[in-house]
Amino acid sequence: MANSKLYYFLLIAMAGMVFLALGGGIWGAEQSIGHWTGVLFQSVCHQDPTRSFSVFGTPMAVNSRCFGIFAGILTGLLLIPVLSAINFKNKKGLVVLLFAVMLQIIDYSGNLMGYWENTNISRVLLGGFLGLAISISISDFFYNNNQT
Amino acid sequence: MEEEIQAQNEPAYGFGDYLPSAGIVGIIFSLITFAAGLFFGYQQINSEPTGTFFSPFMISSGVICLISALAGLLAVWHFTREVSPELKLGQGAVLGFLTGAVIAILGVVFNELWVMLFDPEYSEKILSSLIANIEEMELPSAQKNEMIDAMAESVVSGQSLLRQLFMGIPITGLINLITALIGVKIFAEKPEEKF
Repeated sequence: MANSKLYYFLLIAMAGMVFLALGGGIWGAEQSIGHWTGVLFQSVCHQDPTRSFSVFGTPMAVNSRCFGIFAGILTGLLLIPVLSAINFKNKKGLVVLLFAVMLQIIDYSGNLMGYWENTNISRVLLGGFLGLAISISISDFFYNNNQT
Repeated sequence: MEEEIQAQNEPAYGFGDYLPSAGIVGIIFSLITFAAGLFFGYQQINSEPTGTFFSPFMISSGVICLISALAGLLAVWHFTREVSPELKLGQGAVLGFLTGAVIAILGVVFNELWVMLFDPEYSEKILSSLIANIEEMELPSAQKNEMIDAMAESVVSGQSLLRQLFMGIPITGLINLITALIGVKIFAEKPEEKF
């Protein structure tokens, strides 16, 4: 694998980020806001408990969309060795990423303007798609036959 | 032998090479996010409690995250324009992380300066407004009290400078590292193979 050190660094960092994003429930806290896991993410996420999944009855440290993005990036990183093995051509990675970003904007705006009401499931799925698109867009950097 | 020669031809950059891009982009983005934070912060302070969690202060973190995530991408763009068009993936990662670190550090510094010089009661006013908002929520009182306690603890503990830096740098750095990798893909020239 090309750039293997960076790949493993990213993999470990994102796995850590996803784990910490699970919030205070893992550590026996009743709230993630105020818990150190919540403080860790307070500058990057609004942490609305009503828009977050719960772990052991405690809302996560990030909302469902942010969790989807982090988990999507991690899933995409885990898929990279497989994509490399099947020689997956990634010529439209940036287009897919742009599409995923546009979907987020449309979903957020539609919800804000009252055209529809998104749910935790829809937010985590769209966030996951964006995260996956981020990983896929940079995946060819890590292929053995690195041609970007 | 071939690898050695190729390694000699590949550009090697030091901290000083990254600093102008990470510094300039970091300063600009930390100023933008600081200004956005203040805007939403004072909107929160001056708003009537609505009882919904989606308050201006809560929206601000999402907006600030979105804005600051672009810094890694733009730092790579700046580097390829001003320093060298050639940038390897690992070098882009370092540049992105440094940019995120600059934003996190300057964000804390600007906030501290604002509180010290202009509005010493800023944090307390935000906290009071958030608590007033929670009290209007249709939630069981035990849950409300828990949220208020947690929020008060968060604001009080968040005031430690070291804690803010320790908590802020890794996540902001990692997010900008990832966007910098996308920046490398878009803006950087790959070193041509000589053999």
